[in-house]
Amino acid sequence: MKKVRRKIGKYEVGRTIGEGTFAKVKFARNSETGDSVAIKIMAKTTILQHRMVEQIKREISIMKIVRNPNIVRLHEVLASQTRIYIILEFVMGGELYDKIVQQGKLSENESRRYFQQLIDTVDHCHRKGVYHRDLKPENLLLDAYGNLKVSDFGLSALTKQGVDLLHTTCGTPNYVAPEVLSNRGYDGAAADVWSCGVILYVLMAGYLPFEEADLPTLYRRINAAEFVCPFWFSADTKSFIQKILDPNPKTRVKIEEIRKEPWFKKNYFPVKLGEDEQVNLDDVRAVFDDIEDQYVAERSEITEGGPLIMNAFEMIALSQGLNLSPLFDRLQDNVKRQTRFVSRKPAKVIISSIEAVAESMGLKVHSRNYKVRLEGVSANRVGPFAVVLEVFEVAPSLFMVDVRRATGDTFDYHKFYMNFCAKLGNIIWRPAGTMPNSNLLKQMTL
Amino acid sequence: MGCCCTKQRVDQKDPAVLASQTYFNLSEIEALYDLFKKLSSSIIDDGVISKEEFQLGLFGSSEKRSLFADRVFELFDSKNNGVIEFGEFVQALSVFHPAAPQTQKADFAFRLYDICQRGFIQRHEVREMILALLNESNLVLSHEIIEVIIDKTFEEADSKGDGRIDPEEWQEFVARNPSLLLRNMTIPYLKDLTTQFHSFKLTSGIEDCTSRSSTSPEKDNILELKDNFNGVSIN
Repeated sequence: MKKVRRKIGKYEVGRTIGEGTFAKVKFARNSETGDSVAIKIMAKTTILQHRMVEQIKREISIMKIVRNPNIVRLHEVLASQTRIYIILEFVMGGELYDKIVQQGKLSENESRRYFQQLIDTVDHCHRKGVYHRDLKPENLLLDAYGNLKVSDFGLSALTKQGVDLLHTTCGTPNYVAPEVLSNRGYDGAAADVWSCGVILYVLMAGYLPFEEADLPTLYRRINAAEFVCPFWFSADTKSFIQKILDPNPKTRVKIEEIRKEPWFKKNYFPVKLGEDEQVNLDDVRAVFDDIEDQYVAERSEITEGGPLIMNAFEMIALSQGLNLSPLFDRLQDNVKRQTRFVSRKPAKVIISSIEAVAESMGLKVHSRNYKVRLEGVSANRVGPFAVVLEVFEVAPSLFMVDVRRATGDTFDYHKFYMNFCAKLGNIIWRPAGTMPNSNLLKQMTL
Repeated sequence: MGCCCTKQRVDQKDPAVLASQTYFNLSEIEALYDLFKKLSSSIIDDGVISKEEFQLGLFGSSEKRSLFADRVFELFDSKNNGVIEFGEFVQALSVFHPAAPQTQKADFAFRLYDICQRGFIQRHEVREMILALLNESNLVLSHEIIEVIIDKTFEEADSKGDGRIDPEEWQEFVARNPSLLLRNMTIPYLKDLTTQFHSFKLTSGIEDCTSRSSTSPEKDNILELKDNFNGVSIN
């Protein structure tokens, strides 16, 4: 007997691939064409409670207007009695952010290629009067061919939680232009250019140009464009980035000027765009116009997201023996032993424990969707040191935490891991009969 | 010596034939040849990659064993003679190219996980692989928990309910979970071989005297794009 498959319209629904405060994202397949899609599912009650109807409606319409090969495509919008479904293009290759986390800095040529695609895409949107305002590597996806796909152009409300970025206490505005910080009226095009410059710096350096523990210092440094280029940036690269990260929006380089820069033009192939299509917003209107009618009858229920649920094959795919990249990447020295632990604590407790221990060790912490990046300076002060931890649910109330070195040398990493796990001891689970220190003792002998 | 050289040359497949059978073009196959030479001579310079040389390339240690690395090696070694020859190497890596279709990657993954090579994946094979991962990670999970994990997985994947996963069920399962299940099946470096290993082109020992053979329609677009890219980088 075949299992029952869940369907939404013509889409066969698969696993959850992302969760946030306002939306859950599921993988699905178009049963008519076989194409893969991502479905962003929002409860109507949530939209109404946060007064986001007009905002989301406007931004979905914007996303329909700015069609471009490098922008995640919105196919259509559907609704059931209780939910809104946004059908998006499925992007196979993950986030550019994850690539930076895994690889550290990218080569100049690779960074340039992504930057060229980013500039073309942003320019395309600006010509249609649309500004992103929240450009950062987390919004940049990669398709299976390694090409850039900008997401959340028009859907940034879902990540901003309906409140201006400047007024949220979550996260820091590392990618935001100085004139945006000072809260005066600003030119959206110039602000996006600045964000592109920060992204380029991050791609090539592997870390942020502006990053401080306290916001006032961070704001001061951004307003003064006080940053240092690492020694591996060529003179041309430094000069190029300085033109973009100009704190004065009036003298900051513009996109048409960027295109003329020799640095930018190397190996540059502009995307050929097709004819502008007729944009049909009927489905957006149909979905949203009657949303108010449903409000009275609904019970409110907001569920927070959880970590990704991992099946057996996804666990197996974590194995070092199945990762062939070391054959090609000579810079990646081998970690002798995979570093993971298991915990029975709730996922939120795991995350908060990791954050607390990391801060007590003097590390900077960035958390998002059950993924944590820890940054510090290596013991010998040679360069930046970074570790990534990700929480997965493998069985009910059982979580695996995958710990990976992102940058820094292997010796520093292993010292860090031993120290870190010793401090985390209370959340690390070992079955009865296992000595608590046996793992650490084994580590010592390596 | 002459005899040895002759044997090596006979063993090598024609690069143009390899280009027509894979997602790599001629320049990329030259770059792969240089990589292959490095791997195949890392312990014994005999023109083929042994299991120990493969482990050395993967783990930085020829002594380190892994159930999974063994499975990968066995699938690369399509002639099943205990070593990886250049032709086998290129054809296997083609599956990991970003341009290779998902169904081809899924098929390779299926054969990786089908440890007993019976044409389907069974519970005990999955258990063996989970235990290997836990051992590699120095983790311990109870038998009961491992069974819960396998139960949940088979509930999702075994749509016919016969206690095993056949190729059809596997393709269906992967189509619903592509990004995580195939996370190791694409190696992005393969897309930029001649850019990242540009020096390889200069040192390649392959004579580039053969003309490009005809390619399948599916590959034409890829070759066209790459030719443009290579042409520009030469300037």
